[in-house]
Amino acid sequence: MPVELVSWLQDISAHLRVARRRKQLRQPGQGEDYTRDHYAGLVPRVVEPIHPTSMVLRIIEIIQETPSTRTLRFRRTDGPLPPFRPGQYVNLYVEIGGVRTSRPYSISSAPGADLLDLTVRAKPGGFVSPYLLERVGEGHELESSGPAGRFYHEPLIDGDDLVFLAGGSGVTPFASVIRDAVRRERPLSIHLIHGSRVPGDVIFGDELARLAGASDSLRYTPVISEPPDGFDGATGFLDAALLGELLGDVSGRTFYLCGPNAMLDLCLGALAELGVPPWKIRRELYGPPDDPPAQPGWPADLEVSATVTVAVEGGPSFEAPVAEPLINSLERHGVVVPALCRSGECGACRTRLLEGRVFMPEGTGIRESDERFGYVHACASYPLEDVKIRL
Amino acid sequence: MAEKYDAIVVGAGLGGLSAATMLARKGLAVALLERHNVPGGYATSFVRGRYEFEVALHELSGIGPPEKRGALFRYLEYLGVADRVDFLHVPHLYRTVLPDLDLTLPVGREPFTDTVCGAFPHEERGIRRFLERVFKLGRDFGRVIRARGKVNPALLPLQYRHLFRYIPAVWGDVLDRDVTDPAARAVLSQYWGYVGMAPSECSFLFFAVTLAAYVLRGPAFPAGRSQALSSAFLATFEELGGVARMNCGVRKIATRDGRVTGVITDHGDELTAPWIVSNADPMTTCRDLIGTDRVPAGFFTSLRSSEIAPSTVNVYLGIAQPPDELGLTDHELFINADTDFDRHARGMRTLNDPEAIAVTSYNAVYPDISPPGTSMVVLTALGYGEPWYAVPPDEYVDTKNRIGESMIRMTEKVCPGLRERAEVVEVSTPITNMRYAGAAGGSIYGFSQPPRDNMIWRMPNRGPLDGLYFAGAWTRPGGGFEPSMMSGQMAAGAILGQRARAEGGR
Repeated sequence: MPVELVSWLQDISAHLRVARRRKQLRQPGQGEDYTRDHYAGLVPRVVEPIHPTSMVLRIIEIIQETPSTRTLRFRRTDGPLPPFRPGQYVNLYVEIGGVRTSRPYSISSAPGADLLDLTVRAKPGGFVSPYLLERVGEGHELESSGPAGRFYHEPLIDGDDLVFLAGGSGVTPFASVIRDAVRRERPLSIHLIHGSRVPGDVIFGDELARLAGASDSLRYTPVISEPPDGFDGATGFLDAALLGELLGDVSGRTFYLCGPNAMLDLCLGALAELGVPPWKIRRELYGPPDDPPAQPGWPADLEVSATVTVAVEGGPSFEAPVAEPLINSLERHGVVVPALCRSGECGACRTRLLEGRVFMPEGTGIRESDERFGYVHACASYPLEDVKIRL
Repeated sequence: MAEKYDAIVVGAGLGGLSAATMLARKGLAVALLERHNVPGGYATSFVRGRYEFEVALHELSGIGPPEKRGALFRYLEYLGVADRVDFLHVPHLYRTVLPDLDLTLPVGREPFTDTVCGAFPHEERGIRRFLERVFKLGRDFGRVIRARGKVNPALLPLQYRHLFRYIPAVWGDVLDRDVTDPAARAVLSQYWGYVGMAPSECSFLFFAVTLAAYVLRGPAFPAGRSQALSSAFLATFEELGGVARMNCGVRKIATRDGRVTGVITDHGDELTAPWIVSNADPMTTCRDLIGTDRVPAGFFTSLRSSEIAPSTVNVYLGIAQPPDELGLTDHELFINADTDFDRHARGMRTLNDPEAIAVTSYNAVYPDISPPGTSMVVLTALGYGEPWYAVPPDEYVDTKNRIGESMIRMTEKVCPGLRERAEVVEVSTPITNMRYAGAAGGSIYGFSQPPRDNMIWRMPNRGPLDGLYFAGAWTRPGGGFEPSMMSGQMAAGAILGQRARAEGGR
């Protein structure tokens, strides 16, 4: 019994020791003082300088790059520019004719300056690019997302021997990577092959040629598909023959593709033919497919020009064309859906589909469970029949 | 015009989802508000290329095989969530790699004990004695939980002598009494990352209950990843009539005369309810949402003895090679620089290269988690948020990549060629955790769990203002997937009890 009693007393004293320690830590000057300023608004204070949710950007200069392309040079007015990785984009919000929408644009400037360049080419039939090229001027302010996207050189797995394949305005993220690599003297070997239609369309041609001329580790090959008479550079498309000739041995190199979807398909085929393993290929998102009904899986019996009714729970109902992403028709009817990549991958526009079916192109980055529980990415969803959604 | 509810739940992490679903199950009109666009908090996934990565879950406790279901499964069954999720069973607890040891620990009390004893025959008696303490404590704790409300605290020291003894104990102290070989102590303490604290500091009760839960019923993993579990909660909640809003942060919790009365959302909408469950951390809740001046000062005094737990650095790898070619055949692999886990834990306060990592190879039990012929591998190291606050924004990527590189190298020593066919990599940090989950310090376990903050003595679910309750890792019973879900049950239970008393008193 005395042994039991001793052990009892020991246990009780252990409890008291913990209680005393707690009490001691709760004295002024002890423990952690959560009323300190440090803990007020801690999370946004730590996160926002690296990942701002939004930025106000003022145009300070407009540079005509080619007849159809301009660089809008911005300065952020609501805080310092956050860091970004060369190759990333921002999603730019605009309000045009009462419609609030957004488009992602790659940053073409290098990080480290307090300026941010977005280079915009006129897209025939486009909604936002004509506005940015013709209707905004110096001093104009626009709102954007923070820098986003995963199209950058990743030293953890990409190695240092890089090939950039660009089509048209797809050169803009590469401009950022190359400007950064030159400025920081990064130990990278880069070969940029840039396809354009005519010599006058080549974006950043003079600067890239100059940088390549001054560097042993940077090669630059503009390729013209409709060369004028007497043109003496590389011509044609970025197909296997041309790439094979320009690149030689492809082993150990990492390939980055950015450009219109048709160009991407051509390049992917060419790289496969040249024996580039798929895990060495990175591709940038480039918006929704140009021709959704041509995508595999589109119902063969569905009239491309058909319209359906889109109903938003607690919101408007409207007619929408089947071949247009839901997010666009929603925005046209005043329903703003959070968005970022607008290419199906990032999931910012994740939306509940209550009724009806939508078509999502192959490769849309939808979560397995989202598919099961009835969520879609509005930027990559085409309503195949009357649908009802919840925001 | 304010919308009226019986209860509002702020935050759709697992604690919030659990509380909201439980309250809705009991017939309350509940609004669940979440800042992010997807429910789950850390219990979520993200897509990169053709991979959908599990964000946080390594092993889920409390599920158990069909013939031996655990407490969490029974709770999910009661709510109606279990029908919506398939659970996969993990056959081994972990493979542990130390400089001179490579050991895989099986599920089940006997196989586990025999395996540890087999590796350290000279310590067999001590190991058996120690594990006896662990499992007995796990059993006692389970009994107390099942008898909840019926155990008289004054009689607990008599009825649950063993439990009473170990409530104030430290894991390392108990272990040191029974086992002397540092390698054997390391193998037995390998789950220190799951409790988020050095073996020499962690509550024995919390560590023992955690280890016992995994050993006795085996770990599980939800098909569809932890996001499927979170989405199953949400679907159940909505089916029960609950109103859930994503992309809807809360700006303010309104109070009147020391009582919470409702919330104002980031969109400016006003919702009122007599009961509010906050799944946000207590600092964010009481300082940013309520306002320090409206919270009794004693609350912050009592928080002084609590310390924010560590966060994580994760390296998410999508690899175009099957896992067996990479030498990754076990779900969970721990790689340790040596047996000095206390030193590894001290490293969490620095931005030095980690000395201990977990390598989760999900394909082992979940072959379809990535496309055929590929592997999804996640490397995890624990680290506090604080050192990251001081990293200048333009050094952030280099810092995380330097640490990520060291973690990949550490893994490559066990799995050569790991990244030769890597096609996707993403490194997350405590800043990432703060960004998406909003938790102070990016803490993955709420407050740390020394004895003074273990499941018994932790911040209670009942908050400092009338009508305010906490759910999530910060409050009782503690950090981790199963405890977070149980916290929601406890917060909801407390509210239901208060309501019943109020009804009865009328």
